Amino acid sequence: MLALDDVTLAYGPVVAVEGVSLTVEQGEIVTLIGANGAGKTTILRAVSRLIKPRKGSVAFMGRDLAGLTPDKVVRLGLAHSPEGRQVLARLSVLENLELGAYVRSDAAGVAEDLERMFGLFPRLRERQRQAAGTLSGGEQQMLAIARALMSRPRLLLLDEPSLGLAPIIVEEIFEIITALNREGTTILLVEQNAHLAMQAAHRAYVLEAGRLVVSGDARALMDDERVKRAYLG
Amino acid sequence: MTLAWFLQNLLNGLSMGSVYAIFALGYTLVFSILGIINFAHGAVFTLGAYLTYLLSVGQFGINGLLAGWQLPFTLPFPLALLAGAGLSGLAGMAVERLAFKPLRARQADALLALVSSLGVALILVNLIQYLFGAEIYSYPSDVLGSLPPAFIFKVGGKPVAVRTVQIVLFVVSLVMLAALAWFIHGTKAGKALRATAENQDTASLLGINVDAFILGTFFVSGLLGGLSGTLIGVSFGLSGPYFGVAYGLKALAVIVLGGLGSIPGAVLGGLVIGLGEAFLPPDLSSYKEAVAYALLFVILLVRPQGLLGGTTEQKV
Ligand SMILES: Nc1ncnc2c1ncn2[C@@H]1O[C@H](COP(=O)(O)OP(=O)(O)OP(=O)(O)O)[C@@H](O)[C@H]1O
Ligand SMILES: [Mg+2]
Repeated sequence: MLALDDVTLAYGPVVAVEGVSLTVEQGEIVTLIGANGAGKTTILRAVSRLIKPRKGSVAFMGRDLAGLTPDKVVRLGLAHSPEGRQVLARLSVLENLELGAYVRSDAAGVAEDLERMFGLFPRLRERQRQAAGTLSGGEQQMLAIARALMSRPRLLLLDEPSLGLAPIIVEEIFEIITALNREGTTILLVEQNAHLAMQAAHRAYVLEAGRLVVSGDARALMDDERVKRAYLG
Repeated sequence: MTLAWFLQNLLNGLSMGSVYAIFALGYTLVFSILGIINFAHGAVFTLGAYLTYLLSVGQFGINGLLAGWQLPFTLPFPLALLAGAGLSGLAGMAVERLAFKPLRARQADALLALVSSLGVALILVNLIQYLFGAEIYSYPSDVLGSLPPAFIFKVGGKPVAVRTVQIVLFVVSLVMLAALAWFIHGTKAGKALRATAENQDTASLLGINVDAFILGTFFVSGLLGGLSGTLIGVSFGLSGPYFGVAYGLKALAVIVLGGLGSIPGAVLGGLVIGLGEAFLPPDLSSYKEAVAYALLFVILLVRPQGLLGGTTEQKV
């Protein structure tokens, strides 16, 4: 479903990611872990075409993404919940969610999904008329995830969904992630909480200073030395 | 200080103020989305005024490359107004593609876009002068067809006169304001526009074609510019290719006074300046052009963020 081939990513002269190849198959949860600054966010941004690879190719749904703008990739079925809960602060919670379904034209399905999100995150229902910027950090995180789900993506990119959330909410979020996956959503998950991520995921890639150091079955990797090192930063 | 005097000034002020408001909104829309003042907006104002004049009158007099040349057709004023505004919208799009997009693609400093828009403004104004000359043009008195030039009614025994042109100014501006408010707050595209204004990356991750929305914003901005140029032109005549510059500066005062980037602020600022000019005592009338800046000065002393700026007010 997603394939990165020998991808190098840079910010100006600073190379952030070098020669990374990875795949995500239909139906999988794949996690990408690594210390701060390892290049996880950068890789997700390249998948959604917010940055362009200096070298290598990214293919989604069998299609090379070169030359596409981010909105076109969304129309292919990608949703990206970015790092740092990028809610649209001046828009209402409801408007944020509605914009999550911007590319959809099935009003009935959208209304149904909206109900579903309010079922998953009751706090958002209570606060739907409120400007998103006035939500608490945790509530904003929920909104960012719910908004990404509103497009009914084929592939969901989640960048640190547990960041800043209370442990009990984190658990809930991970339950939602696995439930979504069982319903057929493929997920590429970036997490600081490597332990939780590897429990939820089928496969894992470990990134160190912009390079992949190891990958494989998530459970098998949990005791790997290099993983512990990456996890501990 | 009679009621008639008050009503007369109120009407004058509202009609001018509403045009200032829609002209200033052209700046505000672009500023909301790109965070940059588009200095070509005043030139598009001039262009719109000239285009509508050309389309409805059919020719320009004695100077310029097109002196004596006759357009093979003319349009009734309402149609010419619409066509002139539409063409100004296209000019706005051209400004975006020439002055803004190339710099944005290179992630250049915002200050450079300011300079390049100033450059495009100079080119436009000089082109207008080259084609149509520098003299003053006024619309023929029958431009509004069979409508009477003014309506006069009596209040407390004193006459109050409303020029038909003033009604046109006010109604057209009001229609534009209502349409814009509906678009921004009542449509899906308006929601996407507000998202784009807030964060372009996030908007694009939601599937919003940011580039198309920027281009569309320049179209609407150009349309508002051309429309207000036409309205001022039909009211006071076209005082040469540079007449958009003075109005452009005044509209900048409007948006700063109202609060940079705030749509309600631009409307309020336009009305405040329009009314301020209207209520200026007759013996000070030679200072009319200074009213906007005097008001700006006073209001910024009290509220440095402008009347409606810096609150939780939505930008678009
Ligand atoms: N806009 C930018 N300009 C320059 N360098 C950047 C930029 N964004 C990221 N970098 C650099 O690229 C490298 C990778 O950053 P990235 O955000 O991908 O890390 P990360 O793995 O997501 O880290 P974290 O776990 O802290 O979120 C870092 O060294 C960072 O300093
Ligand atoms: Mg990151």
